[in-house]
Amino acid sequence: MERQEIITGLIEILRTVRTIDPSKLDNVTEDTDFIADLNTPSTEMINIAAKAEQKFDVEFEDDDIDDLGSKVKDIVDLIIKTKQKI
Amino acid sequence: MAIVGMGGAFPNCKDLNDFKAKLFKGESLVRDWDLALAHGKNIRSTVSGFITEKEMGLEAIYSTLAENYPETYIDTLGRIPDGNLATADVGSIWAMLGTRDAIKMAGWTIRETESEKTGVVIGSGGAGHVILRTAWHNFFELKRKTRIAGSHTVDRAMVYRDAANVSCLIKNKGVCESIGSACATGLGNIGYAYRLIKFGIQDRVIAGGVEGTSLETFIGFDAMQVLSKGFKASESSRPFDTSRNGFVCSFGCGIVALEEYEAAKARGAQVLAVIDNYHNNSDGAGNMFFPSFSGQKRLWKGLFGDSAIQADVVKVHGTSTPVGDAIELLSVVDVMGEDGYQIAAPKSQFGHMLGAAGAVELITAIFMLQNQQVLPCLNSESLNPELESFQKIPEWDGPDKPLDAYRHLISRQTLAKEVNRIVCLNYGFGGTNSAMSISRNN
Repeated sequence: MERQEIITGLIEILRTVRTIDPSKLDNVTEDTDFIADLNTPSTEMINIAAKAEQKFDVEFEDDDIDDLGSKVKDIVDLIIKTKQKI
Repeated sequence: MAIVGMGGAFPNCKDLNDFKAKLFKGESLVRDWDLALAHGKNIRSTVSGFITEKEMGLEAIYSTLAENYPETYIDTLGRIPDGNLATADVGSIWAMLGTRDAIKMAGWTIRETESEKTGVVIGSGGAGHVILRTAWHNFFELKRKTRIAGSHTVDRAMVYRDAANVSCLIKNKGVCESIGSACATGLGNIGYAYRLIKFGIQDRVIAGGVEGTSLETFIGFDAMQVLSKGFKASESSRPFDTSRNGFVCSFGCGIVALEEYEAAKARGAQVLAVIDNYHNNSDGAGNMFFPSFSGQKRLWKGLFGDSAIQADVVKVHGTSTPVGDAIELLSVVDVMGEDGYQIAAPKSQFGHMLGAAGAVELITAIFMLQNQQVLPCLNSESLNPELESFQKIPEWDGPDKPLDAYRHLISRQTLAKEVNRIVCLNYGFGGTNSAMSISRNN
């Protein structure tokens, strides 16, 4: 799965998170920070992770979620890493 | 103490004005409930004063991870920001909507609302059952990860979620708490708010009670066999009537804006009613459910102290349960005498809103002060012409006439009357009793 394809899928997830201003999602890149750039409440990160598991058909390790960074590239990396384990 | 604003959520009503109009027209707001009917013989009672999401201008967004789980709501009328909706169960949203209307009616400025002297005291009878059910079912029964239900099961289900969500919406810097006292919760929170202002801790408080529509809540009472059964919906809530066999489990929200009287007058606020006093106590009888004649009499004594007990209307708890109504009517008669006042039992029109009951019924009392009319006690067709069994025991020291002797105190139609003072009564499981006296502003 290409990284851009994952980012597109993540943006679809982010559009369902009501606490994120949809207008901020037009220019999301790998360097976009969920918390600093999108003002995502930190509590929403677990919702995003759970929805990413469903969308990309993976199951993250709890430790990996605990260590997850707040940038888009961090979750892209985690999805690719987890898929490689399958 | 002045009541300067009110709002809420009311079954089968568009808004506060619609609620008021329907009440004085003598309408019943109790309906057959499709959600209960869908469970066939597994559920005993199927009528309720329920409120749908659509009726409140809300739309549920269901989770893609957990079946039938309302992950959040959309306010189709754009009243509450999405960020606030994300942390709220449906009852908390009603509380936020009611607060918005109450503050608007009160005319509080943003500076006043956001001050350290503004408090929020709102409670609910139940937990966030709709939210907890999904979280627990997915974890315990389906053996799924905790994160499947998302990260908002705590803020959407915690005991003081209604107060917390309202506080986050209006950004007050004073007290934010909930009082829980079962079916006395609504009046108990307003009573606590009254004390916060009376003791100089706050200048103004948003207060009330909420019970969000929840079949999860309903079935607990259904299992106890305390809900009305066997009547058509509009006739199911029948306080004091001989054939009553239980209460109608309903849902709603009542919010009032309280303000220190002189401050309200000084800024030219419209004073809807004045709170004379509030008192609450416990039966001390060691019984979770059975009402206490002596506990209710002590409640009156606490409310009036050494002053003369006087009221034009007694707004009773009047749930439509066999024992509760009988004890209550006799305790009111024992204290107030056999005439000179009227009894109003608004649950006859919309059922028992549990944690919201006391707050919504206080609002109906304000309506009665405004209209100079007493609300009808629907379906109180006939009162028992014989003594209650507890009146026949040697220890009984209350009125020695049957309920039917007090028929004249309970009108089945809306009644025009000079109404200057109303005493509001609510009771709850555990033997808790609450009373508030309110008067017309002169």
